[in-house]
Amino acid sequence: MSTDSTLASDPEAIVAGIWHPPHSSREVPARLLDVGGSLIVLSDEEGDEGRRLAWGILSDIEVSQRVGSIPRRIVFGNQSVFETRDNEAVDTYLRSRGEGRSSSIHGLEIVRPRLIAFALATIVLASIIYRYALPILVELAVVVTPPVVPEMMSAGTLKTLDKVTFGPSKLPEAQQAGIREDFARVAAHAEGGADHYHLNFRDGGLIGPNAFALPDDNLVLTDQLVGLAGGDKEVITAVLGHEIGHVEYKHSLRQLYRAAGVAGLALLIAGDVGSGVQDVLTQGGGLLALSYSREAEAQADRRSVELMQAAGMDPTALSRFFDTLETKLDDHGSTSMLSTHPGTPERKQAILDYARELQEKRAKPNG
Amino acid sequence: MAVVEQNYPLGGRPSFQRASFTGNASEYFGIWIVNILLTIVTLGIYSAWAKVRRNRYFYGNTVILGHSFEYHARGKQILIGRLIVFGFLIAVNILSHLAPLALLALWPVMLVVFPWFLMRGLRFNARVTSYRNVRFDFVGTYGGAFKAIFFGAIITVISVGLLSPIASRWFYKYIFDNLRYGDRPFSTEPRLGALYEAFVTVIAIMIAGIVILVLFGGVVTGFGGISMGRGMGSISLWHWMIVLIFPIYIVAGLYYRAAVRNIIWSAAMVDRRHQLRSDLGRRRYAWIAISNVVVTLVTFGLMRPWAAVRLHRFLAEHTVVHVDGEIGVVFDQIRSTGSAVSAEYLDVDGFDFGF
Repeated sequence: MSTDSTLASDPEAIVAGIWHPPHSSREVPARLLDVGGSLIVLSDEEGDEGRRLAWGILSDIEVSQRVGSIPRRIVFGNQSVFETRDNEAVDTYLRSRGEGRSSSIHGLEIVRPRLIAFALATIVLASIIYRYALPILVELAVVVTPPVVPEMMSAGTLKTLDKVTFGPSKLPEAQQAGIREDFARVAAHAEGGADHYHLNFRDGGLIGPNAFALPDDNLVLTDQLVGLAGGDKEVITAVLGHEIGHVEYKHSLRQLYRAAGVAGLALLIAGDVGSGVQDVLTQGGGLLALSYSREAEAQADRRSVELMQAAGMDPTALSRFFDTLETKLDDHGSTSMLSTHPGTPERKQAILDYARELQEKRAKPNG
Repeated sequence: MAVVEQNYPLGGRPSFQRASFTGNASEYFGIWIVNILLTIVTLGIYSAWAKVRRNRYFYGNTVILGHSFEYHARGKQILIGRLIVFGFLIAVNILSHLAPLALLALWPVMLVVFPWFLMRGLRFNARVTSYRNVRFDFVGTYGGAFKAIFFGAIITVISVGLLSPIASRWFYKYIFDNLRYGDRPFSTEPRLGALYEAFVTVIAIMIAGIVILVLFGGVVTGFGGISMGRGMGSISLWHWMIVLIFPIYIVAGLYYRAAVRNIIWSAAMVDRRHQLRSDLGRRRYAWIAISNVVVTLVTFGLMRPWAAVRLHRFLAEHTVVHVDGEIGVVFDQIRSTGSAVSAEYLDVDGFDFGF
């Protein structure tokens, strides 16, 4: 409380403006005064000068926060409003009453050199969140997700695919049994053992040659992919090893959380960037998610190499699968921003390199 | 042209008044960057208060007849509304993974619920807006929203878009005819013929654009079939066509939006006496919208405040009101009904129609 006493007969005029009666658009030219600590609005209207229009003590009065240079509204208890464009005078008065807080955010927003620092801090903060905080959050979410969630996710997905495109497998029983046998050899070395994973055969329909892993340890192999591999049984096993890698690393769950995180981040930060730009940002987020999925593919490729080697099969069999893709599907594309999987030649090379590396590692302690 | 000027001597008589925008890019830059910074620091919670400050800035600087608008929503209100919408989205997202087929069943339900959301959103936005101490209100019912959205969408789809001007008319009539300024009603009677004219013009623009594109494509394949080289082989000419049709679609969409705004606003009245009018230049509008996006992206978002102020100023300066006689004293209906404050918490923020 300020100690400089103000005589009631000598009121301190704060600011001039207009006054609206409660719930009405009528306006009266008026001025705002402080009389001994309470605020009073006096009319400036011709013929009615000096009439008291409204009064109240500051704690019962709502002073709108300062935003740019828009008019300030002072709302009295009876819902009448005093409006003024002289923001500075209002702030000076509020500060003298120890109420400077109401314009603290406005203080930050004023254009001065430190705003450049704000802009830089914003950019740095956003990239730190993207680079460090988001991956941590994703890991956390993966850890706390109860196993029942991926199970339900997978059950729904497989059911939908069965209805939409898949048909029952047309592979002969003997061939299926052969593939299952090899698969069990590889899966025995994977996390959880062979019984942990379930291999499903399906006719791919629209999806064509494909193999994929559901997060609940179900793997799906289409007849078309078996056909694509020709007689090379090891290739099929290597592809399944790759899918086991996806399951072990919980890639689908991670990717789901990551996509959600990126979208959330873009929405939060970019809530105010404009509709056109927001669309572009969301698409950009999608592209970034794809680059993450390329990383996941490489990780699964390496896991295939490890599992194949552990099972005593050819660790580089997966690279033969890519050979087949190159020759049969004419896929020579190199990695591009728009692809979920890395370029085939690059993946092949990475597999051969990793297999050699593993072999050398194993050779050392033995020899 | 002469006829138009005779009917609307803008600036000639004091009863015709253009709105104006008194804000500027550098002032808004401060508000904007602090909004983003605080939103990040508070992990998104501040975004609700950021919206309040942003809207207060834009409303408070939009001036017509010497008075500005005011935005009254509270950060807490908006936060609650956002949490509800966010929770709903999460639920839908989880469901879409748990049971994708159940989501298909959910779609009809969503279609029925959506008009309700829209209605509450319109009401919220109207009620938190005031002009000269009097609040706006929106008295549209769910049934009206259902017709405007649901039937509008159905007839548009069934007619392959041919009836979309009728759907537009329903939609905007629903918005304007239910809007109130205090105790005074808004209304609009847009001519269907004018809407169809705009619609046909836009279709013509798209067809012309595609014809030019196809001719151009023919020329390119005729001349440079070989020079495109093996590398381009995987991306066919058609691929490029689709990529190029996209901007034509955007330009046509912007043309249509500007034309419809002009038609709807120019047919609107306040209190059955005061005429509203909008005279956006379609090409200018499309240019501003597109260059805004480009400039914002090129400057990594830093020019966004400039772009926002530029578009807002353009829209304000092409909005006109013709006051017929005295406006008189308008009384606020909302606050006298008492229950408004509690009702606002039920209203949902999130649908902006850029009044």
